[in-house]
Amino acid sequence: MTNALVVKGLSLSVPSASGRVTVIDDLSFDIPAGRRVGLVGESGSGKSLTAYSLMRLIKEPVRIEKGEIFLEGQEILGMDMKKFRHLRGNDISMIYQDPMSALNPIMRIGAQIIESIQLHSDLNRSQARKAAIELLASVGIPEPDRRIDSYPFEMSGGMLQRVVIAIALSGQPKVLIADEATTALDVTTQARVLTLIDNLAAERGLSVLLITHDLGVAAQFSDELMVMYAGKLVEHGSVSQIFSNPVHPYTKALLNSHCDYTIDVNEPINSIAGQPPRPDNRPTGCVFSPRCPHVQPKCRETVPQLEIAQDRLTACFRAEELFELGRLNR
Amino acid sequence: MKFNWRYSFSGFLILLILGICLAAPILAPYDPNAIAVADAFSGPTAKNWMGADDLGRDSFSRILYGGRITILIAMAATAIALLIGTTWGLVAGVRRGWVDEFLMRTADATMAIPQILFALVCVSAVGASVISLPIVVGILLSPTTARMARSAVVTELASDYVTAAIASGTKRSKLILSEVMPNIAPQLLVQLSINAAAAVMLEATLSFIGLGIQPPNASWGTLMLQGYAKIWNTYWFVFFPALAVTITILAFNAYGERIRVTMDSRRSSV
Amino acid sequence: MGVFLLRRAASSLSVLALSVVLVFMSIRILPGDPVLAKLGAATGVTPEALEALREEAGLNRPLLVQLISWIGDAFRGDLGVSYFSQFPVTQLVTARIPVTLEVTFFIILIAVVLALILAPLSTLKPGSIVDRVIGYYTSIGLSIPGFVVGIILILVFSLTLQWLPSRGFVPISENLVENLKLMILPSVTGGLTATPYLVRYLRASMLEVKQSPFVRTAEGKGLSNVRVLFRHILPNSLVPTLTMLGLIVGYTLSGVVVIEYMYGLPGIGSLAIESAFKRDYAVIQGVALTIISFFILTTFVFDILCGIVDPRLRLAKGQKSEI
Repeated sequence: MTNALVVKGLSLSVPSASGRVTVIDDLSFDIPAGRRVGLVGESGSGKSLTAYSLMRLIKEPVRIEKGEIFLEGQEILGMDMKKFRHLRGNDISMIYQDPMSALNPIMRIGAQIIESIQLHSDLNRSQARKAAIELLASVGIPEPDRRIDSYPFEMSGGMLQRVVIAIALSGQPKVLIADEATTALDVTTQARVLTLIDNLAAERGLSVLLITHDLGVAAQFSDELMVMYAGKLVEHGSVSQIFSNPVHPYTKALLNSHCDYTIDVNEPINSIAGQPPRPDNRPTGCVFSPRCPHVQPKCRETVPQLEIAQDRLTACFRAEELFELGRLNR
Repeated sequence: MKFNWRYSFSGFLILLILGICLAAPILAPYDPNAIAVADAFSGPTAKNWMGADDLGRDSFSRILYGGRITILIAMAATAIALLIGTTWGLVAGVRRGWVDEFLMRTADATMAIPQILFALVCVSAVGASVISLPIVVGILLSPTTARMARSAVVTELASDYVTAAIASGTKRSKLILSEVMPNIAPQLLVQLSINAAAAVMLEATLSFIGLGIQPPNASWGTLMLQGYAKIWNTYWFVFFPALAVTITILAFNAYGERIRVTMDSRRSSV
Repeated sequence: MGVFLLRRAASSLSVLALSVVLVFMSIRILPGDPVLAKLGAATGVTPEALEALREEAGLNRPLLVQLISWIGDAFRGDLGVSYFSQFPVTQLVTARIPVTLEVTFFIILIAVVLALILAPLSTLKPGSIVDRVIGYYTSIGLSIPGFVVGIILILVFSLTLQWLPSRGFVPISENLVENLKLMILPSVTGGLTATPYLVRYLRASMLEVKQSPFVRTAEGKGLSNVRVLFRHILPNSLVPTLTMLGLIVGYTLSGVVVIEYMYGLPGIGSLAIESAFKRDYAVIQGVALTIISFFILTTFVFDILCGIVDPRLRLAKGQKSEI
């Protein structure tokens, strides 16, 4: 299986009172063609920054310190920007978090879609308009020939998100990034939009990187799961593997703290003690060590690398034993 | 620190200009009105640092004295604008309701009248003098001050500390004077600087078109008017006063900017 | 759209009314007797003669009556009669308005064009050398009085280079080329004076818009920076700027007065100055009314333009459709 997306050693920094500090630390992962990968983590873990890096939308003061990103074999971070713009929105595109503010408020939605279509094709005005109407229909917008001339403020959040999806699909994407694409929507709409993305991705054979802080959404939608903590990828494996036996202490704690209607209301919610580290206060060694219940002296000195532990990748020195422990407890 | 340096530079410049001009009688080498036909039309020389005008009067001295008049008028106008404008805005901001509505509409109406035109109208009625000009200019500048004062007051009054103070029974007048005013003082200072710059500009413009300070008194604007008539051979008549006016206005604007930037950065770092 | 227009019109009219009253009152209330001024230092004028003249000029009627009668006349196009020349004010004004309109038009044109070039240049790469130079220009530009700009331009272009004439006016009907040549320096003077304000405002507006999420979406489509700037950032920055432009017109009208005087253009600005010297209140009033009306009309037009650019402003609230 060829890889649609390969990230190697991506590191980002931001300025602080004590100089530049790391916000994404040596991030590496692959996304094979046609796969759905979920990226979960709490706010501030660096999920969105990862997404922006893939689209080269990182702006000062945030800086990409090092790393390589291969989109279908082509390295894009070092690529000439003019050349990359042909790929951006075309081979790789993104769905944004808040549909209400993600669209130009004084431009008709049709015009915004057509702009993208014409950018990535040779269609003339009327052909592009037809294509836009078809695109609107495929994302499930009723009466697309009428709606195409609406302004964003005339439409609801769910509708607007479909428009954003339409724009993302207006080229020939191989990779689709959904950055908290359903967070701003209500639960019912959320489900509908996710189904839509699911269907469209299946139809076109797209790889999807679904970024979310909602474990349930990630589990439902993805084939694989990546867990990020404080800018570091700590676990990467298939959804069933991770959910049945979370190895990394952070993943375990995360799954433990998940709330839904099945939990016992009389029991306190399992939260993880402590706080994620501030960027200018990154611990030496493993970034989770201050809060880890299985911490050892080694963890505070050396940074654990993402390594294969049984059936998945984990960044923990005690991965093997924790895996066994988890397996036994099942 | 870089920012401190610039902050004090424009402030320093202002003090320098103020000092020099106000001390004109001490600093000027010659009587500004002393005619010395022999030196007429001379360019900058050792005797006349900025040259001499068509009647041989020393330009440097005239500029010093001219600055004195310009600065005095501008300062008076600024003070008047501050007084009227702040009261105007405070009353509107505190009273609210139709008083607020009416006062602000009046402010808008005043601002709708192009400044020079308004000044023209007033000056033609009362004549131009060292008394009338500050009043006219001051009145002209007060609506903007009023607007600023009003919005500042309204914002402050909506803050939590005010609500707390009122809840604990503080009298409104005491509250305004001792608590609110100090908090809006920086904004007033910014407005003061900007008004000063505007006042200098207005006075200079009015004098330049002949509706300001009349000869034999001469403010910078009047000097430029006289210089403009002779511009073909002796450009320096106009040049030096023009330079003086521009630098003064720049200094006031820069100072106001600096304070505003400081205020903004302080607010955002909270 | 109709409701929007009506609301704006009502607002403009109320401001106009208040300003006019202000001007009128200022003249009447401020010390200084127009009749006395008219007579100048003529000796031997008896108090009775003075009274007779005042009666004739209607200055003895109650203020309110004077105001209303003047407004009434103004509606009929009669702005009174000049105290000095006995020419009807309306005639004086209409004869000179085209000149002022022409100059004002060119000034605004230059200011807008310059701003539309400088502000985007500045925003393309904030903090760059280009941006900083433009920043210095606006700071200094704001501090140079209009007539000083004029003086500098005259020194350079008329005096030294001898490229352009520095005074005078030729009507278009007579000679278009000469007319335009004589318009260059005055327009550039006014334009350069107004540009810094406009650039500052537009730049600030654009930088703010640049932070909006939809700009990121636009970039995410693969659009070039220039395209994003002109197609997405600029239009969204225009709405607040248009309001500012209305104010700029106000500044310009103020400055036009001085510019006409400096360059010897026979427009209503120089008419105002001449009348101010002579204390010819009738003319001043008429000119003031004209200029203020024009200013308020322009602000009104710009308000409407805002409505056209931003559909949210003109479509009535709550036009949300089905979820």
